[in-house]
Amino acid sequence: MTKLQARGVVKRFDHDGNSVMALDGINLNVEEGDFVCIVGPSGCGKSTFLNIVAGLEKPDSGEVLLNGKPISTPGPDRTMVFQEGALFPWLKVIDNVEFGLKMARIPKDERRQISQSYLDMMQLTKFADSYTYQLSTGMKQRVAIARALAMDPEILLMDEPFAALDSQTRDLLLVELQLIWERTKKTIIFVTHNISESVILGKRVVIFTNRPSKIKKEIVIDYRRPRLMEDENLQKYYHQILEELKSEVIARAKDENQ
Amino acid sequence: MTENLISTQKTHRENLADAANAALFLAVFVGVWQVVFMLGIWPKISLPSPAMVIESFARIIWNHSLPESIGITLARLVGAFAVSMTLGTLIGLAMIRFKGFGKTLNSFSAGLLSFPSIAWVPFSILLIGFNEFGILFVVIMSSIFSIMISTYSSIRNIPPIYLDAARNMGSKGLALFRHVTIPAVTPSLIIGLRQAWSFAWHAIIGAEILMSIVGLGHILSVGRDFIDQSQVIASMITIFAIGLLVDRFLLYKLEDKVRRKWGLDLHR
Repeated sequence: MTKLQARGVVKRFDHDGNSVMALDGINLNVEEGDFVCIVGPSGCGKSTFLNIVAGLEKPDSGEVLLNGKPISTPGPDRTMVFQEGALFPWLKVIDNVEFGLKMARIPKDERRQISQSYLDMMQLTKFADSYTYQLSTGMKQRVAIARALAMDPEILLMDEPFAALDSQTRDLLLVELQLIWERTKKTIIFVTHNISESVILGKRVVIFTNRPSKIKKEIVIDYRRPRLMEDENLQKYYHQILEELKSEVIARAKDENQ
Repeated sequence: MTENLISTQKTHRENLADAANAALFLAVFVGVWQVVFMLGIWPKISLPSPAMVIESFARIIWNHSLPESIGITLARLVGAFAVSMTLGTLIGLAMIRFKGFGKTLNSFSAGLLSFPSIAWVPFSILLIGFNEFGILFVVIMSSIFSIMISTYSSIRNIPPIYLDAARNMGSKGLALFRHVTIPAVTPSLIIGLRQAWSFAWHAIIGAEILMSIVGLGHILSVGRDFIDQSQVIASMITIFAIGLLVDRFLLYKLEDKVRRKWGLDLHR
């Protein structure tokens, strides 16, 4: 069943008085339980696309449908894990995880139980009463994932969530995320500029072109899980994506030099 | 976690050392003062000795003029400050709500914030009169802009990612304001509050010197009228002490508590 459908999504930005085309007609279907990774050169508009799906930005034309209904506003059915975590420093870890549930007016006992279970899943049980500054960057991202999952969204949006992590922590989270996906059967869209990440995580990897972005190619990765960073067999996918991206990165560099 | 919290709090020993340093500083200060007094560079009437100031203190405490003045000054201050906090916050919020208004008013902020409180006095006397409300007006005008501008700029400086994250989780309208905007601006609002308080404190003493027949500023100016430098100094010490105590034990404590909770500058 199609969970999410993007039809001809176009987005322009005003940049120093010039209109810059960020997205030039994105068409994408995401099936229920899919794990789609979007890769592209930096500044190509992949995060913009995610923001449109989240309802935080509006497309200039085209539309995005969730379960066949057009998206117009942000909503807890599409929770996002941001690059910087975006946890609230004035709340304890558990209250951060509960935030969305509180906004949805779920009774206190019930939301405590839900958030506790997601903290357990992310192995953060001991840190429920800590403040976020007391956590490492990796732990913060795990809280952010727990917070997004606690809303039981239709679709989980992840915007380069591991970009700021050290490589050991990231490798660990890449495995954890696969296990969570298998356990929760969530539909996930994961945006990254890191090819290895997309190969390890994605059931499908969608490659965006340089600005104005279109979808250049889609690669299906049919390989057992959990996939590990050091797995040699994943190399061929890596190189396949790298080849596609190379010309885009060069085009991007040319743009910047102009 | 807990070690982390404890290590950021001052130990008992450190507190004692701080107190000892302060005491030593005061002792040296009073000592130098005494020596300068004994050298007789200035006549006694211009520079009294520490002992003469203590005597003056005893006198104005004994005849109740000091405690009464403190009470009146603080009552005026708290009343005027409550008004400027309420109005300042409301105007700050209006500046957010009506963007053009906010932008325009904010472009005047440097002039408003640096405007000397004493400069409101003649205007206030002519507008309101030589009375209680005239004094309150000066204090309100001196502190309201600081509250107003800090409300406006704190809200505008909220990292957009907090608002995005909150909206993403279904928060909007009043709930967004209550659960995200208010807590997000608290640390910088408290800084604005401290600043406004200090402006108000400047203003009340100035206004009382020029406009009042009671209050701390008044006993200071009475000292001058009767050429009683000991009373002038005693009043100045009182003003200094109150300023210090309010900031250390109220405003600074408040700021420290919030900063600690947020994990801001733990290792200063």
